[in-house]
Amino acid sequence: MNARIALALTALLLAGPTLAQTRGLLKLPEMAGLADKASESVTVTLDQNLLGLGCRFLNAAEPDEAAAKKVCQSLTGIYVRKFSFDTEYAYPKADIDGIRRQLAAPGWSRIVEARSRKEQTDVDVYLLVDGGKARGLAVIASEPREFAVVNIVGSIDLEQLHDLEGKFGVPELEIESGKKAATPAPAVPPAKKPADPRAH
Amino acid sequence: MNEEFENRLRRALRRVDAPEGFAERVMRARPARPAAADLVPLRPVRPTSVSAWRRFSAPAALAASLLVAVFAGQHVATLKAEREQQAGLAASRELMQALRLTSQKLDLAYEAVQRPAPPPAAEEENRS
Repeated sequence: MNARIALALTALLLAGPTLAQTRGLLKLPEMAGLADKASESVTVTLDQNLLGLGCRFLNAAEPDEAAAKKVCQSLTGIYVRKFSFDTEYAYPKADIDGIRRQLAAPGWSRIVEARSRKEQTDVDVYLLVDGGKARGLAVIASEPREFAVVNIVGSIDLEQLHDLEGKFGVPELEIESGKKAATPAPAVPPAKKPADPRAH
Repeated sequence: MNEEFENRLRRALRRVDAPEGFAERVMRARPARPAAADLVPLRPVRPTSVSAWRRFSAPAALAASLLVAVFAGQHVATLKAEREQQAGLAASRELMQALRLTSQKLDLAYEAVQRPAPPPAAEEENRS
């Protein structure tokens, strides 16, 4: 009996870090067929090892890369799928719906829902909050001729994200510094409210 | 019969004094002795090269093997470092590309959020 308990505890201890790593990780569809149809495609798959390696090779003398280096140290994965097409809506909506369904899981909350009828652009920004800290970020952006999904996994420090403002063109998310910045709540209301009237 | 043979043999092999002047004639007949300087001392023939090869072949092979191992190790280490550097640079490029794309999409969301909403009247006109 004791042996069973010890085994279960060991399994839990071993599974703990793995679960922590996979928390916030979305299962992105293969989209191999989509890449053939697309006029341009970007696929970035950086797991913890590759991210660590890439992070080491960033040039700290470059402001962009120095800021990225700061951010990527606490991350465990970055996954990007972006496809551009010559024709409109050439991508299957089912793939996007599949990703959205994963984001309906507990912990994920949509912090930005932007719908532009004029430009026919939909952008959703989701944040996975666990223990008052952001553990994952997902962005789904769809335009008539373009479709992009971004999944950033890891301990996302919103203050560091704030440091990126202006460096990559990251907009000011009005994240307050100090303790409040650790939770996504202060960043949500200013961004979300204006989006609602334009929602489909 | 045997006695007679033995006697004949004894007679034939009996000591006979050399004729007179024999020694002088022999000494005169022998060739002149070469001078000491003309004598070339014989060198003992020793298979030096073979024995040296046998003696040093094993250490030489060991040293050569060590050298080859060291150079091969260095080469492999260099290749590994080069491969790691290439992978690292590729990963850093992908990382920057991903962050740029993320920022672009966040920018898009920000622009959409910040854009003033169209007046409700105009929206109604559009609908009709």
